Amino acid sequence: MNVLEATRLGVIGMFLSSAALADGHLNEMGPEELLPLAQAEGKVTVYSFTSRIGKVEAAFEEAYPDIDLQGFDISSTEQIARLQAESQAGVTNADVVYISDTPVVLTELLETGIIAPFVPPRIAGRVPSEYQSPLLAQRLSTKVLMYNEQANPDGAPITNLWQLTTGDWRGRLVMVDPLQRGDYLDLMTEIVLRSDAMAAAYEDQFGKAIELGDAANAGEKFIMDLFANDVILVGSTDDVNVAVGAKGQENPPVGFTSYSDRRDNEEEGWALQVANDVKPAPGIIFPAVLALAAEPKNPAAARLVIDFLMGDESETGGAGLAPFYVAGDYVTRTDIPPHPDAVSLDDFTAWRIAPHETAKIRSEIGDLILTLQ
Amino acid sequence: MVDVTMNRQGRRVLFKHGSVLKTVVLALLIALIVLPLLRTVLFTLQPDTVRAWSDVLTGRLSTNLFYKPLGNTLLIGVVVATGCVILGGFLAWLVVMTNVPFRKTIGVMATLPFMIPSFAAALAWGALFRNDRVGGQVGWLQGMGLDIPDWLAWGITPTLIVLTLHYFSLAFTIIAAALATVNSDLVEAAQIAGAKGGRILMGIILPVTTPALVAAGSLCFAGAVSNFATPALLGLPVRMQTLSTRLFGMIEVGQVGRGYVIGILLVLISGAFLWAGNRIVSGRRSYSTITGKGGRAKRFDLRGARWPLCALAMVVLVSSTVLPVVILSASSLAPSSANLFSNWTLHYWIGLSSQSIAQGIPGIVHNEDIVRALSVTLALGLAVALTGMFVGLLTSYTTARFRKGWMSAVITQVSFLPLLVPGIAFGAAYIAYLGAPIGPFPALYGTFALLVIAATAYLLPFSVQTGRAVIQQVGGELEESARITGASFARRLAAITVPLAIRGLTAGGILIFVKIVRDLSLVVLLFTPTMPVLSVLAYRYASEGFGQFANAITVVILFISIAATLIANWLQAKSQPWLKN
Repeated sequence: MNVLEATRLGVIGMFLSSAALADGHLNEMGPEELLPLAQAEGKVTVYSFTSRIGKVEAAFEEAYPDIDLQGFDISSTEQIARLQAESQAGVTNADVVYISDTPVVLTELLETGIIAPFVPPRIAGRVPSEYQSPLLAQRLSTKVLMYNEQANPDGAPITNLWQLTTGDWRGRLVMVDPLQRGDYLDLMTEIVLRSDAMAAAYEDQFGKAIELGDAANAGEKFIMDLFANDVILVGSTDDVNVAVGAKGQENPPVGFTSYSDRRDNEEEGWALQVANDVKPAPGIIFPAVLALAAEPKNPAAARLVIDFLMGDESETGGAGLAPFYVAGDYVTRTDIPPHPDAVSLDDFTAWRIAPHETAKIRSEIGDLILTLQ
Repeated sequence: MVDVTMNRQGRRVLFKHGSVLKTVVLALLIALIVLPLLRTVLFTLQPDTVRAWSDVLTGRLSTNLFYKPLGNTLLIGVVVATGCVILGGFLAWLVVMTNVPFRKTIGVMATLPFMIPSFAAALAWGALFRNDRVGGQVGWLQGMGLDIPDWLAWGITPTLIVLTLHYFSLAFTIIAAALATVNSDLVEAAQIAGAKGGRILMGIILPVTTPALVAAGSLCFAGAVSNFATPALLGLPVRMQTLSTRLFGMIEVGQVGRGYVIGILLVLISGAFLWAGNRIVSGRRSYSTITGKGGRAKRFDLRGARWPLCALAMVVLVSSTVLPVVILSASSLAPSSANLFSNWTLHYWIGLSSQSIAQGIPGIVHNEDIVRALSVTLALGLAVALTGMFVGLLTSYTTARFRKGWMSAVITQVSFLPLLVPGIAFGAAYIAYLGAPIGPFPALYGTFALLVIAATAYLLPFSVQTGRAVIQQVGGELEESARITGASFARRLAAITVPLAIRGLTAGGILIFVKIVRDLSLVVLLFTPTMPVLSVLAYRYASEGFGQFANAITVVILFISIAATLIANWLQAKSQPWLKN
């Protein structure tokens, strides 16, 4: 393609895309129709809360060699702060936002018009409606209690969350600082929202009713006891994974991390396994959503990326879904079979978060944790 | 006709004492320095953010949000300042006043640690002492089978050691310069009167160098309390917070109001200490050390202590300069920091993406992000060197040429204001200032321009200082005679001042370049993924557990900094009089 041709295509592309925007047609286009427009745009920027964006980038550029995908691995919490600052500045850096932290995303980004929903028409019939609105969920992700299966061949060393507050586990629970990563704050918030279950589990464990002391409820009491028991806070889930999962440890800690990180066991030399039977629940399960920037610079390419990330027509979704078709991630597309190596979604005992409920008390729990640190 | 005369007179009044120039410079400085700080304060006083003040100062959160970090911050400031004065003073005394072997080598090496980014030393500490508390890779010593206790691996102790080893060279430079001016007559008189070395030290040298000691102490204090990288890398894993890490954390999670309040308080604290130091010194007026010509005194003979003291100095210097460089280089090559010196691979430098290593991150030569960050960083360094020297020269020319009037005094004060403002608080202020559009001007968030403007303002004290030194080198007579013959300001600047001062200007520009290339605290909040700089990338890799990449990037920064510093030193060889015999 020579320069003249490229310019001409570009002009046509711009013309077409603005025309399409005006008609709102872009939202109805399939990948074949989006492709020429996206090629004219030439590039697309993605903010992603998972480091797997690196693999997506490689796969996307192989499928669409003319489009340069720039993927940035930025935690959900930081994405929210950045997107707000960028929107205040009137700058749009990202075209596509791939993010968890839905309690904050819905109120702070979607309702304020910083991001916009998009459901590729190609897969619209194959994703349950609860996962299409208000934002398209690509998969369900988790923050659950994991243990080292090499050191504990007979199963999880923990059967009740309250055991984590006892002397045996002092300084031996690892998690990411909930003030740095929203997923972990959501986990803490959910524990408070499930205070009744926590209180029942307390009685199961210690054989007596819970005494709240300064805490407002059983969930808060648990969090306070956890911090008093020298919980180890680290900066990223990979730090948790290594601490818990590294092979050859005599007395490894347990930790809250993503079930799906078990996928890296072989590559990284870990022995991570989920403690699915822990009472009252091992943690939370929450959606990872895909959205467009409100006014993306590359509207066609942005939609093409979301289409790509939802997987192709092959049995397990092809290259776009491959990084996420792993044990411990639950793809929302109904026509993709569940991953054979994972606990099935029905048997998985983790709590499902209700974003709006979480949003109500989330900052309060954040402040509580601030006082405990 | 009458009109014309009136105009002329009007113009003469206007131009008297360089009013126009002074107004322009003052306006520039206000826009660069005063407005951002003011904007931050105003932000926290808005109805929906004013609560942040009570949250930080009195609420139930205040202990963890402010008072505990404040305690750590002050502890760091006091201990590091004391350590730096002792260490820097000891080395300065050795180099300037004694016959210790390898004086020159010690003198040169003692100025280097300050050129090494402080996060380099923190990363090197981690590569050596990291234990298994937070999982991930352990450091070399733990890998050798030693059991490193938590207090040595994390938290306040390593922070204090690393910061002292970083800032002592600042103290050294200041104290050595002061010692070099001590009038040898005083010392000789004491020697003739039969005073012993210790007596001379306590009775003469210490008293006359007090201002330098206080200045060194308060500058080290201000540097240590505002340092971000070291407590962030070594303290956060054990939940040790300082005001600067709290400020960063609050802004990163979007609690901007609380972050700004902490930033304002940090500015006040650091400013108060610098001001107090200044007061102590100015309370006693007679410190003049340069009175007429005294010959250089005979050097103090250390006799039997020569080699032991030399060895002691070398231990300090090697552990603060050579050691970090060696450790970082080794750990950028070693797949496991527990085995620093085995299985070396160039993967982290030149390897292609491989699924099985480090989540597929390719070596830094092939890593688009890093290559882009390198070009942004270098461009930033060059741009800030140019703009900084321009504004610095303009400012110092204005105050040197038109000394009188309140405007000159204000210009001088304002141009040194950024010294009181920790880099991270300055970064926060600039987000508040230029993060949203102002009138017809677009917001600069995430742009190269924002980095350049903020860095220019932040480094203004240094560029003005350099500009002043340069102007003083150029004799006023030349400029005066050109002015009499009718040459315009621009022409005088272009034809006389700049050509004569080009050497000093270049050296000053290079120092500014180095300062910004190795800076983390200013840019860590201004960073956006699409406008990356090396130091922030290194910090992010380090905090995400990809130590090798962080260390490889740091080695690159180190080499750029050290090379540029050596060039600048060579250009300004005369600025270190204590090295002359």
